[in-house]
Amino acid sequence: MQRGNTFTQTIRQLPQTPSYDAYHAAANIIDGMTAEESGLPPLRLAMLRNFTIEPLLPIVKAEIARMGFFPHLFVGGHDTIASDVMDSASALYRFNPDVIIVAQWLEAIAPMFATRFISFSAQALDAEVQRIVEAHVAVVRAVRQRSHAPILLNNFPLPEYPALGIFDAQQEHLQTHTMLRLHQELLRQVQKFPDVYIVDYAHLMARMGTQQGYNERYWHIGKMPFSHHALAPFGMEYVRFLRALMGKVRKCLILDCDNTLWGGVVGEEGIAGIALGPTYPGSCYVSFQREIMNLHDRGVVLALCSKNNERDVLEVFERHPNTVLRKECFAARQINWDDKATNIRRIVEQLGIGMESVVFADDSAFEIGLVQSQIPDITVLHLPSEASQLRAAICARGYFDALAFSDEDRSRNRMYRDEAHRKQLATSAGSMEEYLSKLEIRIRIGRTDAFHIPRVAQLTQKTNQFNLTTKRYTEGDITRWTSDMQCDVLYAQLQDTIADMGTVGVAMVRYTASTADIDSFLLSCRALGRGVEDALLAHVVLRARANGCTTVRGQYIPTSKNGQVADFYARHGFVCQGHGSPGVWELEVARATCATPNWITVDVVDQPERDYAVH
Amino acid sequence: MQCTESELAQVIGNVLGVAPSTVNQATSIDTVASWDSLKHLNLVIALEEHFRITLSEDETIEILNYPLIKMTLEKHGTTFTE
Repeated sequence: MQRGNTFTQTIRQLPQTPSYDAYHAAANIIDGMTAEESGLPPLRLAMLRNFTIEPLLPIVKAEIARMGFFPHLFVGGHDTIASDVMDSASALYRFNPDVIIVAQWLEAIAPMFATRFISFSAQALDAEVQRIVEAHVAVVRAVRQRSHAPILLNNFPLPEYPALGIFDAQQEHLQTHTMLRLHQELLRQVQKFPDVYIVDYAHLMARMGTQQGYNERYWHIGKMPFSHHALAPFGMEYVRFLRALMGKVRKCLILDCDNTLWGGVVGEEGIAGIALGPTYPGSCYVSFQREIMNLHDRGVVLALCSKNNERDVLEVFERHPNTVLRKECFAARQINWDDKATNIRRIVEQLGIGMESVVFADDSAFEIGLVQSQIPDITVLHLPSEASQLRAAICARGYFDALAFSDEDRSRNRMYRDEAHRKQLATSAGSMEEYLSKLEIRIRIGRTDAFHIPRVAQLTQKTNQFNLTTKRYTEGDITRWTSDMQCDVLYAQLQDTIADMGTVGVAMVRYTASTADIDSFLLSCRALGRGVEDALLAHVVLRARANGCTTVRGQYIPTSKNGQVADFYARHGFVCQGHGSPGVWELEVARATCATPNWITVDVVDQPERDYAVH
Repeated sequence: MQCTESELAQVIGNVLGVAPSTVNQATSIDTVASWDSLKHLNLVIALEEHFRITLSEDETIEILNYPLIKMTLEKHGTTFTE
């Protein structure tokens, strides 16, 4: 317990951008304890490499801990990637990794291609590109035959000085364009396998500059290519992937208004006095608003938290000729004179999301400090006072990184807004049932096919509250489930008079001779309160009966977020088996009374069986 | 750049994984068990970052004990106030 406290304290006290030796200090503490002592769930990360990657480890370890996992790392030998992945009994597979990084540096895998480009004939060049790609594909194929762990590969930084100098960019077959072709071909070939992702070394290095990020002295002395400037950006890039893969995604941005979305104070200077327009300083705020709009279009839910008169703020979004953001871009707002911590709690409650998925951005150090101290689970972003730096500040941290982009993401803000509209309707209707009947709710339930896999995987990753077991699945996992004839992955789509909300619910069921085992049962929080869960469970029981099962078994694994479903199975007539945690619940199919609420119409779409093995 | 010896001991101790209070004149690659070639590379990185200097190739390889590290930093303009 004592050591657990030391651990928590160390991680909490780690600065936003720690020095390299501070990362080592944090990593030393992590190395000196066990996952149990830390109180965090473990994350098992394997790193296979053909260069010295060790200097990244303290950064990766400390940032994994900051993300809420206890890091277990496995580092393969120098240039032993092939034997690591080809041998089913290798230490790599015994380690049983959650995620596998395969880090290859071009000079190590293809030294002549990297440093004697000019010596290749056109034909030899094509062969070399194919060889490099095939080397990667062979690794991916070998891993996929033995492990479901997501794989992170990398592409390669562009050469600092291309072989033919200024002539290099003039022809497609020269070095720069050949490198780009290599990257494309690599992506094209590894995309054929599930759960393989490219870490964009080329882009990372370009962002800081090769001269800043590559250290030739370290390379020759220690086979380590990164300069000390590059270690944190490269380490953090891997952590961004891990965050997305482990379902620790952030989905809501709460914004201040004055000196954030425009320059000046609207309450004092009026709508005509604030800076928001085509020339400096107003152009900085237009540019920042456009970036916020990009987040909106990516599916980040936006909200306003501002100390102002609401009328003044809304006037900007409704009337200002240069505003990019409109009133309807925001799913919730608290514009008043109460303290911001209280207002943020109100917004989060209104939207029905968890605090750990929220980022709060404000230019005031006071507000940032207050919110951080009152709400430890929230992520705060202290915006720079220089207006021209606002845009980069929101992009740089990659807060809202995800590894998928679906149609639901595009329309998420509209959905949250519609939800607010429904809440309004509810207050005007008489009884709850009367209101729900007015909504003409339709649910479409079907077996997940290739088309629905990304969204279903995404729901398992993102849903925290109405989630009985909180098991996270990747697209590859879901693909395997759907191709297993003993399993059903059911999706539920929801539609009413106000909107089509798309896929909102998932039930994953595994059938044995007499039992239907519910592995996962979840519902997006914006679909709560309509009885969708009752309809979906009734359908699960129906299918269990059709499959000849006599028992439906469910599990409730408590987390800090899913308290609202603790009695879900009890309410539906399931009987608790024993007193252990997590609790196991069983329902005798013959006695089941689960039913679809009478205000819901259910359409069942049974997809024809398909071959999902390759996509 | 001005710096104290305890600050230097902290950087060395953090990277080598030993208590900074145990870092002294006798600290060297021969007396600290964890100081291998990988830790040495990490130490060079941490020193270059902390003291904002760029070591030469020879210095990179040769700073294998505390007195040499301190001397090299002084050569690159660090003054120790202690």
